[in-house]
Amino acid sequence: MRAYTPKENVQKKAYYTDRYWVAPQVAKFDVESDAVFSEDLKAIKDAKITVLEAFIQVDQMVVYIKPEDNVATLELLRDECGYTQLSELSAIDWISKRGGFEVFYQMLSMTKRKRLRIKCFIDEKQPIESVQSLFRSADWAEREMYDMFGVIINNHPFMKRILMPDDWEGHPLRKTYPLQGDEFAAWYEVDKIFGKEARDIIGPEIRDTARVDRYDTERFARLGHEVPKGAEFNPDQEKTPLAYQEDDGVFLIEGFEEDKSQIIRDRKR
Amino acid sequence: MQNTNRLRPFFENITFDRDDNELVLNFGPQHPSAHGQLRLMLHLQQEQIVKAHPDIGYLHRGMEKMAENMIYNEFMPTTDRMDYIASSSNNYGFALAVEKLIGLEVPRRAKVIRMMLLELNRLMSHIFWLATTALDVGAMTVFLYAFREREYLMDIIEDYCGARLTHAAIRIGGVPLDIQDNFIYDLKVFLDKLPENMKDYEDLLDTNRIWLMRMENVGIIPTEMALSWGCTGPMLRASGVEWDIRKEEPYELYDEVEFNIPVSDKGDNYARYKIYMAEMRESAKILYQCIDMYAETQKNNQTELMAHAPQYISAPKLDIMTQNYSLMQHFVLVTQGMRPPVGEVYIPTESPKGELGYFINSQGGPYPYRLKLRAPSFWHTGVLTDLLPGHYIPDVVSIIGTTNIVFGEIDR
Amino acid sequence: MAQHQVNYMQDGGLPVALTSIDKLVNWGRSNSLWALTYGLACCGIEMMASGASRYDFDRFGTIFRASPRQADIMIVAGTLTKKHAEFIKRLYDQMTEPKWVISMGSCANTGGMFNTYATVQGVDRVIPVDLYLPGCAPRPESLQYAVMLLQKKIRSQKAIKTQKPKRLM
Repeated sequence: MRAYTPKENVQKKAYYTDRYWVAPQVAKFDVESDAVFSEDLKAIKDAKITVLEAFIQVDQMVVYIKPEDNVATLELLRDECGYTQLSELSAIDWISKRGGFEVFYQMLSMTKRKRLRIKCFIDEKQPIESVQSLFRSADWAEREMYDMFGVIINNHPFMKRILMPDDWEGHPLRKTYPLQGDEFAAWYEVDKIFGKEARDIIGPEIRDTARVDRYDTERFARLGHEVPKGAEFNPDQEKTPLAYQEDDGVFLIEGFEEDKSQIIRDRKR
Repeated sequence: MQNTNRLRPFFENITFDRDDNELVLNFGPQHPSAHGQLRLMLHLQQEQIVKAHPDIGYLHRGMEKMAENMIYNEFMPTTDRMDYIASSSNNYGFALAVEKLIGLEVPRRAKVIRMMLLELNRLMSHIFWLATTALDVGAMTVFLYAFREREYLMDIIEDYCGARLTHAAIRIGGVPLDIQDNFIYDLKVFLDKLPENMKDYEDLLDTNRIWLMRMENVGIIPTEMALSWGCTGPMLRASGVEWDIRKEEPYELYDEVEFNIPVSDKGDNYARYKIYMAEMRESAKILYQCIDMYAETQKNNQTELMAHAPQYISAPKLDIMTQNYSLMQHFVLVTQGMRPPVGEVYIPTESPKGELGYFINSQGGPYPYRLKLRAPSFWHTGVLTDLLPGHYIPDVVSIIGTTNIVFGEIDR
Repeated sequence: MAQHQVNYMQDGGLPVALTSIDKLVNWGRSNSLWALTYGLACCGIEMMASGASRYDFDRFGTIFRASPRQADIMIVAGTLTKKHAEFIKRLYDQMTEPKWVISMGSCANTGGMFNTYATVQGVDRVIPVDLYLPGCAPRPESLQYAVMLLQKKIRSQKAIKTQKPKRLM
């Protein structure tokens, strides 16, 4: 019987983990410990935005909000708190564990020299409001998020795939998507260029990096049975005798003759 | 057997000549001045662009997916292929992010060597930018001159790490090697000659009528647009925002060296050109100071190159060869990989192109749960959507040139 | 009997050189290999470097052309992704016969380190390749060596055989 492999997360896993291993945590600090961040958090709370959780991790504040509040929060941060740049926007796939995505907005304030991260959790099919009206950079970032994760975004002006081709199937960065692609991905270029009927002629992709085909004289040299490139494979072919250059003597190098050699026993010499 | 009708891209079906005199022009993905595989769908009225749709993804190689299937050290050489003009800056950004995640302090000498590599890469990238942009605009001579200097820089890097383009010269926790004996000498020879070389370029370009006509007042990015599109690096500084991560949020030893941030409020192509040139001079200044700092570590006998953290970083080679426990630990780290603590970091660094950020979500396993690469060029390409309308076709080439985009990091 | 031998090779001799058509045509073909500027990724930078001042590709007669109509060889320099695959086929079809392909770098040869969903595992799945150049990225010297090997290959071919259009299938 074939061993069962979980399909909801096909990413590589550690092949061995100690039973008693407890992963340490990156330290989280209270928001009150930083004056600037606590003020920002107060501004968010004052605007009647529900803050689910907030802490400081590696010098950056992380604020969890509800997904409905994302536009209001970002607008507030941009206009009131000086976070004028949205440097990054993407999602984390938690479908197998929590049934949805975690969307994060990485913000930067150039006047305060502070960075904070707004995070919200959405269900797999739950749409999220576009923030591209506030930050133009979200235009492409949201397209990428849709392309890679299949996160549905409302009110986006040009919702199309950005990195993958338009007729691509599947969302590559989901944990259910294998690294080397599904069947559609494996035959994509053959189907598109030559047509499905060419699959037999071109053959499947070779993903094994160490593969050597000893019958393929077109691409591999046959060690021991030297044949010209592209020659037919002949099973009762003569073995090519291996000859080394040194056998006939090499220019400037004399062959080793034991009786003429001198063995040095005194190591100090 | 060949069925040519199958090759039908989706843009081919639209009417190219419309009633309202709007022409749709396809630019790329194979275009000599697209700096890689940029495809632009340009809607034209006469010669003027009214709408631009940059189409990217022609070099999407799935790096973020690869990162989820690789141990942290394994991913290091892959980062080289992001911004392949200045590989070490990508290595460095990743190394710094992981170091921040596991809370590691790097020895001082390693910091100095890293800074040297970073600034060398900045110089390499800017010289390459100058060469290709000048070539796009039509100045073939500058291309040939600039590549001469770039080859010299590559020789220095090659002497250090053995590779011309894909360096993998920085490790998590430090650097693997000390600089070789003639490194400082070679570097000094190069730096002493750099002002002379740069004068050559500037003599060829600064008063060149064609260069000025194609650069001045072309491709003006207003400050609001630059901020809104998330532009960083020279693109942002040319639009009048004084923001350099090396200065504002110093990492490594950038708070100890003295350098200026060139800023311009023009925002046009020419301002960007000037900023790149000025940044090269600043880089040279930093490199001179790095040479002194290196000599200082030599004097103080600070010869450590890798951080000491047995849980995450392999012991030095000598220990691995002589001590049993170091060998065991090295074996575990190589086969299973290090396991950073559970948590998230977003670490920005100032790469030659702008803010290069690594977002890592670790769940305590040897593989990152999510790794997001924040590549500056991605947004610098995005800004073309708003920047190109109103310009003419020849301006497109010079604007793409000055945005300094690299497709390895746009598509990742 | 007196022998009237003429030494054509003597300097100042008759302005005649005897050769076969094959050699003449191949001589011309192999020494003016115009390459298509087809830098896809990192290898494209090394391709540029080999065309630039230190390595100087022009001395091989290899001049980079931007149009496939003017090109004889296509140096596939870099990773070929699935999104780009149809364009490489299209550019290859647009090149005029005779044409050759050098697949430069591991990515173009086999997909290389990018063993992912988005990369084509070797350009030979899409177009026929004459020469595989290993390395990641290959140095300019090795690209020049590859071109020299290709020249050798061209010289060994029959020039006026009926040209069969090269197709993968």
